[in-house]
Amino acid sequence: MYALVDGNNFYCSAHRSFDPTLEGKPIIVLSNRDGNVIARSNEAKALGIKMAQPFFETKELREQHDIVVFSSAYELYGDTSARLMSVLTQFAPDVEVYSIDEAFLWIEEYVGLYPTYQDLGAAIREKVDQWLRLPVCVGFGPTKTLAKLANRLAKKTPELNGVCVLDTPEAIEEALWGFPVEDLWGVGSRLASKLKKEGIRTAYQLREVNNEWIRQAMTVNGLRLVHELRGLPCKLLAVSPPAKKTICAAPSFGKLIPDLAIITDALTTHLSRSCEKLRKQDSLCGAITVFLHTDRFRRTPGNGLPAKQYAGSITLVLPHPTNSTTELLKYAESGLKAIFRFGYNYLKVGIMLSDLVPGDYRQKGVFVEGPNEKLIALSSVVDKVNRRYGQDKLRLASQQYNPDWPMKQKYLSKRPTTRWEDILEAK
Amino acid sequence: MIDTLDRIPPENIYLVNPARRKRLPFFDALVPAGFPSPAENYIREKLSLDELCVVHPDCTYFVKAVGESMTPDYIYPGSILVVDSVKLVFSGSVVVAWVNGECCVKRFVRKGHMIMLESSNEKYPPIYVHLGKDQFRVLGVVTFIVSKPPKYVRLSGWE
Repeated sequence: MYALVDGNNFYCSAHRSFDPTLEGKPIIVLSNRDGNVIARSNEAKALGIKMAQPFFETKELREQHDIVVFSSAYELYGDTSARLMSVLTQFAPDVEVYSIDEAFLWIEEYVGLYPTYQDLGAAIREKVDQWLRLPVCVGFGPTKTLAKLANRLAKKTPELNGVCVLDTPEAIEEALWGFPVEDLWGVGSRLASKLKKEGIRTAYQLREVNNEWIRQAMTVNGLRLVHELRGLPCKLLAVSPPAKKTICAAPSFGKLIPDLAIITDALTTHLSRSCEKLRKQDSLCGAITVFLHTDRFRRTPGNGLPAKQYAGSITLVLPHPTNSTTELLKYAESGLKAIFRFGYNYLKVGIMLSDLVPGDYRQKGVFVEGPNEKLIALSSVVDKVNRRYGQDKLRLASQQYNPDWPMKQKYLSKRPTTRWEDILEAK
Repeated sequence: MIDTLDRIPPENIYLVNPARRKRLPFFDALVPAGFPSPAENYIREKLSLDELCVVHPDCTYFVKAVGESMTPDYIYPGSILVVDSVKLVFSGSVVVAWVNGECCVKRFVRKGHMIMLESSNEKYPPIYVHLGKDQFRVLGVVTFIVSKPPKYVRLSGWE
């Protein structure tokens, strides 16, 4: 049996776990640069605030209601998540961390400790509430897809008290009966509309379709999904995923930027961050991809027509693997210049480091020099200084700290588990 | 003859990174060849305060004490409290809890349908919590108190 444990409105709940006065109040959490709403408590959802809604659009609602606003505090969410995942290993030895707030558990052998799956689910909820003050829902199913579906039902149906068990053919059939296909794990909006055209609206209908048709319409992944709905496990637990093969950073600007200088500034910041990660896992990268795009949903102010769009990307294979920010920036900048087109308003510039190799790897080509060892040594010193004195205290000059970029987070919140200066105070 | 030597392929040659040096324990004792070191059985991890004070690392929080309501219990302004949320709360436990939004460190005493949060400093009156009426939430039980020793000079008789 698989179980999926999923935090309810995880980011909002993480803030609440250190301030019980937030209980019952509408909370929203904003994206990296306070641009959009990325998490909402149930109360905020009830007020009609949408996922990914631009923050400025919520102004009117904020004037009418007492809405608590937080800039995203990834340090807090990351630590809270690590604690949650670690607590879950007490209930099952095999835990697959699926995302920051979701984990699959393989619980076959452990159910003996608790008389029923229902009891196990209730115990998980109770302990996570007592130890971490976080609300979670638990879904049980014979496959990961069914566990995910059960979890969704547990969230949507208050009478279930946060636990939904699909352990008999009857229970599964009943759950699939009214379950919309577009809510299934792995079914995107395009596939959902394709299925609806064929008259397939519920998970139950999808399960009954013959294999041949599914393979043609939905490829082998679709077939896997349908098998999973029938109770045949196709997706197994991935307990220890392989080390990162690529590192990517591409937060959006928070507003539209037409200027190459500001974009270069942002690119330098992303690159510095990615290189820090690269050096932290002691790797070198052999190829670098730069990409740039406009806001695909933007409409031209005034006439409301879709705005003109541009997206470009370029991959540069380096002459030798390196992890020096200085060296990589040279390539990243020339890549950006090659894809930059004047006259567009850009939403996002991103960087991806790939072809990662271990840090002690040195292979000199015939006509090229190896990486500059001095620069690599310099980078590690820069990391040490920044770790001690704060992010970006030492930085490249092209990262000018333009006041427009990065935009300051206005609604900073405390990080009581990772910073001494932020720990709770008790009278 | 030089030809008979096995050549080492370049990919088997690694650069040693001196920055990644690890400290190994050194035993100042003679080791007779062919005989295992008698010290081997005594190699231990270094002592760590975390190991002593933090039994449940995932469910432990550090909280700073402010105010003097608990000084007789050795909790001074600025003391760091190690708070464990796994430990069960009994009457008599020193807990960190939120009462109507305010975070406090107090001695937990159950009194029928109420909870009394007692300050050990007599100058501070106890707080009575009406369950269901007051907002009350326990963070956890204080398991250790980290404080600096006080600085003062005791006046001696012959001064």
